Amino acid sequence: MISSTSETILLIQDLHASVEDQQILHGVNLIVKEGEIHAIMGRNGSGKSTLSKVIAGHPSYNVLSGSIQFKGTNILELAPEERARIGIFLGFQYPVEIPGVSNLEFLRVATNARRKELLKSELDTFEFEDLVKERLKIVEMDPAFLERSVNEGFSGGEKKRNEILQMALLEPAISILDETDSGLDIDALRIVASGINKLSKPNSATILITHYQRLLNEITPDFVHIMADGQIIKTGNKDLAVELEKSGYDFIDKNTEDKEIAK
Amino acid sequence: MTQTNTVEEIVSQPYKYGFITDIETEKIPKGLNADVIRLISAKKNEPEFLLKFRLRAYEQWLKMNEPDWSGLTYSKVDYQDLVYYAAPKQDVKKKSLDEVDPKLLETFDKLGIPLSEQKRLTNVAVDAVFDSVSIATTYKEKLAEYGVIFCSISEAISEYPHLIEKYMGTVVPINDNFFAALNSAVFSDGSFVYIPKGVECPMELSSYFRINSGDTGQFERTLIIAEESSSVSYLEGCTAPMFDTNTLHAAVVELVALDNASIKYSTVQNWYAGNEEGVGGIYNFVTKRGECRGKKSKISWSQVETGSAITWKYPSCVLQGDNSIGEFYSIALTNNHQKADTGTKMIHIGKNTKSKIVSKGISAGKSKNSYRGLVSISSNAEGSRNYSQCDSMLIGDKASANTYPYIQSKQPQSNIEHEASTCRISEDQLFYLQSRGIDFEESVSMLISGFCTDVFNELPMEFASEADKLLALKLEGSVG
Amino acid sequence: MNSSAICEEWLSSLPPMQGYLKKEQSIGRQSLFEHGMPSNKDEAWRLCNFNRLNSFLSLPIVINNKNVSSKLKYIPEKDKDRERIIIDPNGNPAKNIIPTNGIEQLNDREIEENLGKIVKSTNVKNDLSVSLNQASSSELLALKVKSNMKESLEIVIPSIEGNSISTRIFLLIEEGAKLDLLQVFLGNTNSTQNHLIEIKVESNVELTHGLISLGEEKKSSSICTLAVQQSANSKYSLNSIHHGWDYARFEPRIIQKEGDASTNIKGLQVTKSKEQIATHSQIRFEGPNGKLDQLQKAVASEYSHSIFNGSIEVPQKAQKTEAAQLSRNLLLSKRAKIDTKPELEIVADDVRCTHGATVSQLQDEELFYLLSRGIDNKHANSLLLQGYYDEVVSDFPQSAWKWNFIEKLIKDINK
Repeated sequence: MISSTSETILLIQDLHASVEDQQILHGVNLIVKEGEIHAIMGRNGSGKSTLSKVIAGHPSYNVLSGSIQFKGTNILELAPEERARIGIFLGFQYPVEIPGVSNLEFLRVATNARRKELLKSELDTFEFEDLVKERLKIVEMDPAFLERSVNEGFSGGEKKRNEILQMALLEPAISILDETDSGLDIDALRIVASGINKLSKPNSATILITHYQRLLNEITPDFVHIMADGQIIKTGNKDLAVELEKSGYDFIDKNTEDKEIAK
Repeated sequence: MTQTNTVEEIVSQPYKYGFITDIETEKIPKGLNADVIRLISAKKNEPEFLLKFRLRAYEQWLKMNEPDWSGLTYSKVDYQDLVYYAAPKQDVKKKSLDEVDPKLLETFDKLGIPLSEQKRLTNVAVDAVFDSVSIATTYKEKLAEYGVIFCSISEAISEYPHLIEKYMGTVVPINDNFFAALNSAVFSDGSFVYIPKGVECPMELSSYFRINSGDTGQFERTLIIAEESSSVSYLEGCTAPMFDTNTLHAAVVELVALDNASIKYSTVQNWYAGNEEGVGGIYNFVTKRGECRGKKSKISWSQVETGSAITWKYPSCVLQGDNSIGEFYSIALTNNHQKADTGTKMIHIGKNTKSKIVSKGISAGKSKNSYRGLVSISSNAEGSRNYSQCDSMLIGDKASANTYPYIQSKQPQSNIEHEASTCRISEDQLFYLQSRGIDFEESVSMLISGFCTDVFNELPMEFASEADKLLALKLEGSVG
Repeated sequence: MNSSAICEEWLSSLPPMQGYLKKEQSIGRQSLFEHGMPSNKDEAWRLCNFNRLNSFLSLPIVINNKNVSSKLKYIPEKDKDRERIIIDPNGNPAKNIIPTNGIEQLNDREIEENLGKIVKSTNVKNDLSVSLNQASSSELLALKVKSNMKESLEIVIPSIEGNSISTRIFLLIEEGAKLDLLQVFLGNTNSTQNHLIEIKVESNVELTHGLISLGEEKKSSSICTLAVQQSANSKYSLNSIHHGWDYARFEPRIIQKEGDASTNIKGLQVTKSKEQIATHSQIRFEGPNGKLDQLQKAVASEYSHSIFNGSIEVPQKAQKTEAAQLSRNLLLSKRAKIDTKPELEIVADDVRCTHGATVSQLQDEELFYLLSRGIDNKHANSLLLQGYYDEVVSDFPQSAWKWNFIEKLIKDINK
């Protein structure tokens, strides 16, 4: 699916960012083109989740320097909702529970906000119900979840499926899925992974942030990046993930040592 | 924090009902004395018993002191500087809507309460009250087919004096409190509802109160009687123009539910709240009480309070009949310098009586939002239960949220549970919604609606969306 | 005689103002003179049994104790590792302190600097409990607990039959100190006691405060005002039990002066016959990041009346406060009464505050379960009561057990 003429969706250059006055990202570089699936791996605290929050525009994270371009435009000045509307989707590691707010209504408002951006007509309640019922199949979710409050009382697996459902409805240009596999049993992992596969399109891209190889057995990445200390320290193909699985994260340490020696 | 500031901006919206209707009004001179009361009574051709009722109340009122117990300070009302009767100039009440001054119809149109036959709401009968008098009541004939009486209290006084004499002042005695005594002495108009035995009222009933004159006190009186095995759902709405003086609104509402009867009373209160500096606005000092006199009767109050400079309001249930049920669902949104002190009293007297209280307070700006409630279980109320939940949401660090639940029990075979919590709009929730493309303003509004959802679910269908819109309206605005 | 007349008569019966509490005496007497006794119109006193309150003014106040031959109640042996002070009317309380490593008496300057400041800062209007004490206290126990204090401390205050006593205590717990304090109030026939305790908890202090308040004879009453000021990074835990008083009023008032401190309160009050016991707690956060966990339990049986009023104030400067208050009440008789009013006053948006209150009876299902296992009714009830008390009682130090209050709490209620 990758061709040299593919358009660049996301271009991150020398990104430095901090949260609560603590610098987490120390110069991240990343290019993601149409049709590509990237995996970002690394230990806890290596900056993976921070990178995803910065791309989505979380107000607690400050960009110190560097740039993020989406299809050629700088997005650093955009509010989170503006980023979402132009097609950046963040699948949360811990989806937030919002008591009292109906899941169905939430999905509809979000979908219409995206459709408006794409100059498509907004969907009324009935049209939306048809759409959402169809998309529910992708994640094999019970329609009863639509009647509940957003993520409230959902199990870990249900929350993640609800995230993929949102991805299915918003049809983003780039999906950044933060530890979507964490806390899932085998069946839920398979459903979520098959959902992600079904939703990959030639003109969209996916970044999987994960700890483990197991999600990558279900979804084959084109690139695997390893993050440590707020930087991408190694990039390779899917074999890198396999190697990492085999020899563990120790080999990163070795790698960094090498780097330091080289310095 | 900038995010907090913008949330505050969102909740600060200009008042949309602040216009004044230019209409010729008949007012009696300012001031209050026994003669003024006689004059009001005469203007309304009232029977002797009612004049006596008023004068008795006036005597009591003179002996009473204005309350200052709630810790809220306000510039005291000069009771001699108020007009106690104001009415748009037209002959008493018109038989048909065609004869009503078009300016009045237009006023109610503008308020979103069309009265004319072509435009009126399809499943809601409306009694429209302008200053001191009722202008029109829709669907009277249709209701009459069911034996339901829905009219202004003045009309009820002349048409059904026996019902008035039997019930008025029996739930809220004339000397109940300072403002109830004042109301009993000078009340002008209001609504009357009577649901006969076994009748389920075929449509929602609604009163709409509009204060137009700046120096007129509004003292409406509402009485609802639900006979055995009947049921009714009633809603009141209120708005007023913007004046820089404080206008007094001291209403009394009495509900009586007999065996197996059920009354649902909903209020959407949007009186003018004063300006950003807290100048002007309505003093909303009302007494609302319902008596579940019959077995298995039920009274349910729901209220959405967004207006008024000061609100003191405790819609209460006296649960006399065995197995009777009282409910109170409340949303109070305060901003700028508004002060709302509201809650309920649930008085359990009969056996196996149950009550439920759900209160949601949202305070922004420099406002003060208090829940004050009483749950009392008397020694005979075996098997009674109460559950209360009072949640507050604070927006900005200058707003205050207080909770004062008084709990009293004398019956060991009973249970009382009270929970209260305080929260603010969580940044995580906001970011989650925004990251799905929902803009900041709508996200805030969704979170506030979500916070209030338990109460919205209790409002009648027709008004739930109206109430949501009212909150949304207060929340509407540009993101800073 | 109406209450204001009683008040005036009492004031005139007091000895002239003298000694190093002279200034305090003048403040208390002035306030009583101006405001008189409270009435049911005063929010903080509206449920008070005023007849019993008046007994504080009708019994002779023990001032100069030489003439009183007090018959002290039996007091159990002191623990080896716990310093004991008995505030006994036969002598200046300070005199029966054996100076140890960690405890010193405050000097005059320190007393002058500190006394009355904490209670004043609680800002209670017409503060009757305090005024009564100030007006009549003539002795002061003022101690400084230093950071090298190794032992624990026990302060016992017995009442005197037919008399009224007022005691005043000031404790300064110095920075970094760790203290386990146990206080015991003992009632006596036809007696009243009024305590005013101020504790200044400096930073990095860990203070565990157990309070056992037992009115054991007929017509015994007690009023105790406990004003505590906590500095940053201090930890204060208060465990209290009130039982057996005809009338008792306990007013713990805690101020987290700079926030950033932690306060844990667990209280239990158990009433029987016609007793009235009231707790009026007030907790105020004057800085950010404060923590409070408060549990108030009450059991009311027979004709008794149990009252709890709990106010929590979180002003604007107290962002990120986390406060939780729970009032749990058992009502065991149709003639008994429970009043509870948890109050929250909040002006800060980034806080987590909750309160809750329940009134119920011992659970029928639990009781049935025990009965179905062959346990008789009385025993089953006492097991359930014990379980109910446990949450509060289990936090008392070992040396509290010698006061035998648990057996009493169960026996008195489960007749």
